[in-house]
Amino acid sequence: MAEVDIREHQGLYERVYSLFSIVGKLRPDISEEETEGILKLLPPDTYRALRSMLRQDLLPATFAFMRTLQVWMDEAFRAKEEGKKVVLVPFNFPPELIHAFEGAFPLTSEVLSTLGVVVLEGQGERYWDYAMGMGLPDHMCSSNTIELGSVLTGKDFAPDAIVSSAPGSCDVNSSIHEFVSHLLGVPHFMLEKPGDSDRRGRELFGRHYLSLVRRLEEFVGEELKEENLRRVADKCNECTDLYYDLWELRSRVPTPVPAIFALYTYATRFTMWGRDEGIECLRACVDLARSNLEREYFPAGKEEVARPLWIYLPYFFDFLGFFDWMESHGIANMGDVLMCCFPQRIDTTDRDSILDGMAEAAWNMPMTRQMGGDFMSKRWLDDVVYAVKGLNADCTIYCGHHSCKQTWSVFSQVRREITRTAGVPTLCLQGDSWIRRMTPMAVIQEELTAFVDNVMRGRAGRREGKRTRRSRAGRGGEAAAAAGGEGAPSPEEDIGEADKD
Amino acid sequence: MMDLKKLASELPNRYVEEARERGTKIIGYACLATPREVFDAGGFFPYRIRGMSVTRTELADAWLSRFNCGFCRSCLQLALEGAYDFFDGLVETNGCDHLRGMFENWQYAHPRDFFHYIRVPHLTNQDSMDWFVEELELLKEALEKHFEVSITEEDLLAAMSLQGDIADKLRRVYESRWGDEVRVSGGEILALMTLEGSAPAEDFSRLLDEVLAEYPSRPPLKYRARLMLGGSATDEIELVSELESVGGAVVADSFCFGGRIFRGEEPLDGPPLRRLAHRYLYNLMCPRMFDDYARRKAFIDDLIERSRPDGVVLFHNKFCDLHGVENVKLRMDLEKQGVPVLTLEKEYGAAADIGRLKTRVQAFLERLGK
Repeated sequence: MAEVDIREHQGLYERVYSLFSIVGKLRPDISEEETEGILKLLPPDTYRALRSMLRQDLLPATFAFMRTLQVWMDEAFRAKEEGKKVVLVPFNFPPELIHAFEGAFPLTSEVLSTLGVVVLEGQGERYWDYAMGMGLPDHMCSSNTIELGSVLTGKDFAPDAIVSSAPGSCDVNSSIHEFVSHLLGVPHFMLEKPGDSDRRGRELFGRHYLSLVRRLEEFVGEELKEENLRRVADKCNECTDLYYDLWELRSRVPTPVPAIFALYTYATRFTMWGRDEGIECLRACVDLARSNLEREYFPAGKEEVARPLWIYLPYFFDFLGFFDWMESHGIANMGDVLMCCFPQRIDTTDRDSILDGMAEAAWNMPMTRQMGGDFMSKRWLDDVVYAVKGLNADCTIYCGHHSCKQTWSVFSQVRREITRTAGVPTLCLQGDSWIRRMTPMAVIQEELTAFVDNVMRGRAGRREGKRTRRSRAGRGGEAAAAAGGEGAPSPEEDIGEADKD
Repeated sequence: MMDLKKLASELPNRYVEEARERGTKIIGYACLATPREVFDAGGFFPYRIRGMSVTRTELADAWLSRFNCGFCRSCLQLALEGAYDFFDGLVETNGCDHLRGMFENWQYAHPRDFFHYIRVPHLTNQDSMDWFVEELELLKEALEKHFEVSITEEDLLAAMSLQGDIADKLRRVYESRWGDEVRVSGGEILALMTLEGSAPAEDFSRLLDEVLAEYPSRPPLKYRARLMLGGSATDEIELVSELESVGGAVVADSFCFGGRIFRGEEPLDGPPLRRLAHRYLYNLMCPRMFDDYARRKAFIDDLIERSRPDGVVLFHNKFCDLHGVENVKLRMDLEKQGVPVLTLEKEYGAAADIGRLKTRVQAFLERLGK
């Protein structure tokens, strides 16, 4: 492999930070014409992400979202200058705990990787290539290896410590974070999810969490103050309320929630949950979706051809080709499992109750919640079925991110069980969620089109036919059903029909 | 000792047949984190699941995927073909994400009446230790309840004592290669190590007696260089033999079907299950244990110092994330110490891969100046 040349100031973080500083100067009332004019100056990869985000019907939420990320990166940068500890966390570690420290700030590996992929020309490929050049296997996860590859170049922003909360739910994530801490020689704090989803597992997890808090306090040199914890927890609770408002709005048929809001929601969860900026971003999403509902504006149209739930990850390397394309084809995105953290309001009575609430949040973070614990298939399936029913999704899609060995391990049985218990079909794709080399977006679009045309439209047609037949039979059948006789379809028969689809 | 390879290549071997005739219950397990003494103490025959270099995995691939490691797919293939139907029960451990998937699919598609899951912590601390002790108690209770047996402290102590004797004998054969003269090949040692998991303790102990009596009279092997192997779980005896055929004598390894089996010493005090828990949890030497690299590295350093290899060959099965990353760390650190290292990614059990691997090892021997 050719050596990847990465010069000073060419690390992912600094490049993304520079670009966001420029984008942050755009006026929130920018017109479509102005947007197009400015974006045309940008390289194609950057264009495709910003063109999607700066759509006129998304602007208030997009600006709130970009401001959230800009403040997040600004503060990390300032924290470093001020001698505070910058702690690199994975997406499945709730950042609110670090926000409660005065002397520490959280940066999230996967969010940085995604931002690099989204807004940088050449996406994250040079950093991935650098990591591969070190000999790391090509079946690592691009979600964190891109950012960590950049850190390993030595030309990027280096964290002071790394927290890892993937032991028990993802070997790849745990390994790469451990690897980077080893190479950088920075402290590494691990939070394990025990292999048990019941009370016993939760109790041990709580002890592990409190132990992590103590070790972080020692590392930062600061005991967490109750008032700081409460301030953050109160804001977490506001975020939680808004999260469920958005969930409810998304479930409407047709949905008034734009496809990309799934990403805005969990990017906020992974970065600025428990902060004013996080609240503002989620509120902007909720307000915009409500306004859409009131004026009957539905991003995927009134006649949605499919409402897929992505049962693990979506694709992040081409917003225009993914989120916008789905909506323009009548596909209403119901989000993905990264949204499935099901936050709960934190009891702010005292320090113990707050920390227990934060531990509960950590227990329920995506991936930890689904893949940790007893059986990978069981909890994952439960959440998928819950989300399918709660969001009125009519199909599910597995994106097949190649690195997710734990989901690939049990996908076959989960797909069967989804069909059996939720009565919806599942499309299985293969690709890398953060790298376009494996499966280009055009191929993904073709597969989605074939699925929608051959399965979803067919199901809709058959359902319509079934309704017509029932309606015809109903005239005689209703009387028979009332008498408990033949002609009344049972719920089991309904599921049976879905299975056949 | 040629018979060892043959014996190791049979799944329902003569020990299985004898156990069935005696009415001994056979329990399948896969991971080195499973304390076999608990089974021994209950009169069970713990049988370690192997992939047997199976390369046709179409049944398994319908459940696992092409993104899962070939070793686990091969084990599942054998299970779905019915090759492990002689098991009376199955015990899962969360060794890695692939292994978890293998067990979940096995139990979903081809269930056993007795299925138990030992949840092994990934960290070594007091909380994890207490948890693992409870896990072993739960295992014991599950076995007792389902099979209506009683496992007493005395039974456990006797089983631990027998395993201690076995480890001593096994170590004598294993370490016999550490002098200048090597009389036992790496392929034979791997065969012996796989038999450790597919023979009842007493039978294996007797087998070791035969080996110990036989090997010293052999002529020394001719070799170009001394090699140490390490990496992903593998029971590929033929692969090791093929690599040795180009002149590299395997004098040590850190495989879980290999050098990791010795598991260090257990504490002398405390209830037997706590002693066992401590010995297993703190001596797994597997990258599935996080924040434990220093201990693994020390284990490998010690092996290198005592077995004096000219170079180290580290393998990882395609899609084995844990060893894929671990091998990079080890390579970097060992090379800093001046130890030559070759890292190889391989497809488990693929005969087509052997030629390529032999070429790489040949080139490595040349690099070593041998």
